[in-house]
Amino acid sequence: MRRKRKNNVNKQIASVHLTSKKWQTAVAILGVTFGVSMYIFMNSFMNGVNKAQDDLAFSNLAHIRIDNESEKRDYNPVSDKFPASTLFNIRDKKDIQSENDIKNTTEVMSVLKKQSEISNITAQLNFSVFFRSGSKKINGSISGVDVENENRMFGSASKVITGKWDDLNFQKSGLIIGKTLAENLGLKLNDNVNILTSDGISKNFSVIGIIETSVKEIDRSRAYININTARQVLGKNFDYSSDILVNLYDRNKTDQIVANTKSAIKYKMETWQEANQQLLAASQLRNIIAIAVSFAILLVAGFGIYNIMNMTINEKIREIAILKAMGFAGKDILNIFLTQASIIGLLGGATGLILGVGISSLVNRVPFKVAGLTTLPINYHTIDFMSAIVFGILTTIIAGYLPARKASKIDPVLIIRG
Amino acid sequence: MKTDHDHTKALEVKNVVKYFHDPSTFQVLKGVSFDVQKGEFLSIIGKSGSGKSTLLYVLSTMDTDYEGTLSVNGHLLTGQAQNTLSTFRNEHIGFVFQFHYLLPEFTALENVMLPAKKLGRFSLEEIEHNAYESLRLLDLEDQAMKSANKLSGGQQQRVAIARALINSPSVIMGDEPTGNLDSKNSLAVQDIFRNLAHEFGQTIICVTHDNDFARNTDRTIEMADGLIV
Repeated sequence: MRRKRKNNVNKQIASVHLTSKKWQTAVAILGVTFGVSMYIFMNSFMNGVNKAQDDLAFSNLAHIRIDNESEKRDYNPVSDKFPASTLFNIRDKKDIQSENDIKNTTEVMSVLKKQSEISNITAQLNFSVFFRSGSKKINGSISGVDVENENRMFGSASKVITGKWDDLNFQKSGLIIGKTLAENLGLKLNDNVNILTSDGISKNFSVIGIIETSVKEIDRSRAYININTARQVLGKNFDYSSDILVNLYDRNKTDQIVANTKSAIKYKMETWQEANQQLLAASQLRNIIAIAVSFAILLVAGFGIYNIMNMTINEKIREIAILKAMGFAGKDILNIFLTQASIIGLLGGATGLILGVGISSLVNRVPFKVAGLTTLPINYHTIDFMSAIVFGILTTIIAGYLPARKASKIDPVLIIRG
Repeated sequence: MKTDHDHTKALEVKNVVKYFHDPSTFQVLKGVSFDVQKGEFLSIIGKSGSGKSTLLYVLSTMDTDYEGTLSVNGHLLTGQAQNTLSTFRNEHIGFVFQFHYLLPEFTALENVMLPAKKLGRFSLEEIEHNAYESLRLLDLEDQAMKSANKLSGGQQQRVAIARALINSPSVIMGDEPTGNLDSKNSLAVQDIFRNLAHEFGQTIICVTHDNDFARNTDRTIEMADGLIV
């Protein structure tokens, strides 16, 4: 009871100090407001950029890609048949026709499906072709896809600008073609196009859709068909594919999945981190920049508060001496000025939060029509708001503490005697 | 802490020696000893530089950089921690400075209430009532709601006196407490002090230049060159 009243008188003095020099208080609060709002804006913007970048990258990149390609083969059938010490001589050695593809798709997928972290699996059968239309021949590739799962993984249906993605299910000889490729071949919806594989198989398809992704290279060279049709074209069975793509609920857990399934899956498993190291590096670098800039801003705000608190205390040095003469202890003085700093921090933090969201939402409306974006990207994370408030208030209290401690140590006799 | 010799002594000063070190070391108080009885109205006079103000600040417990000992109401205060001393000051010592020294942003009433709020012994209503009583005693009740920096010098000094009285301290100290007052108000304050000393047993110690004031007190100590004459 007694203690509470003492605190009240300290709070009363603090609030009189804050309200008697409103302009000075406002400037101090604005410093924190600016720091906190910039912190929120910078981080939300960087998050937005990272998310946009990820969305862009993962629009055609799976978290894990399993294939049977490009690994150097050191399988030597002779050594299987003969003991190790046998001397043999093979002339004109060539690799046995390499098996570039996955023949036991169902088995691999069933191994993967046991992993609870996996959100989506789809198989692809990709192969190179010549597209031929009239006199034009263009080198490109066909992606035989599992229509539903492909769409679930990459949102392909939303990128189809003419026709419908799902029609791949119903029209066995239908093909959805990249926008630029279609333009280059002079193709429109329902036109026919001939494809020629590297093995010399030729087949006619009709264009049932045109797709525009955010990646120019794909739009210029790729067409999609149903994976079953692709198997038929290549004369392969229903367990045959070239790639199995895997997405996880948490894409940072790729290493764990690879480790879990490595013994059961003999194919090459490539994680997105390995395939796109620049993606990882770029997002980490952006985060470092965002943190460095926002800390610099908070530091500047901190110095501003330190200065203002110092000024206030120098102005009020006589009052501090009187308070001490009346029996206020050093810790009461500390309390009075720390209360002021905390109020400045809280008000600055709250207004900074509002301003930060304001600035961010304004920036989010700035048009930016590049690579699938329409406006500058902003993405809010709760953690940014919380850390902005925590850092804002912490900076204020530290900046306020140093002058307040000085004030608490003032010798009243020196001031009062003059 | 409580030393049990003499219950009638408000203040016991033994052989207080103090030096100033800036700009050069100089002995201001050269071994001052005296007692003040409870309920005594004491004045300290002397020329400028005689050390009378310095002595008063030692007595006030704010200045702790001295040799010798100081006891107030039987409590030995020499060597106590700053926090202990400020609590003691709050409860037992009222102080009136030479240049009024109010908090300019607070009203007269709030200024008077502050030490009592800090002490926290009474409810806010009681404190406000007591503060009004103090102001009324000094003929200032109609100035209660005025901001301290809107008051005249004399009014400010009387508010400071009202503030010194609020916690009913056992010792009231003043450094030229009537220095800014006209003779009518000065006499009124002297009457108040004498009344407090004789009716309520509060001890009053005032440093003054004013010989009329000194003549009005129970006892006068004269200082010269850091010693009591």
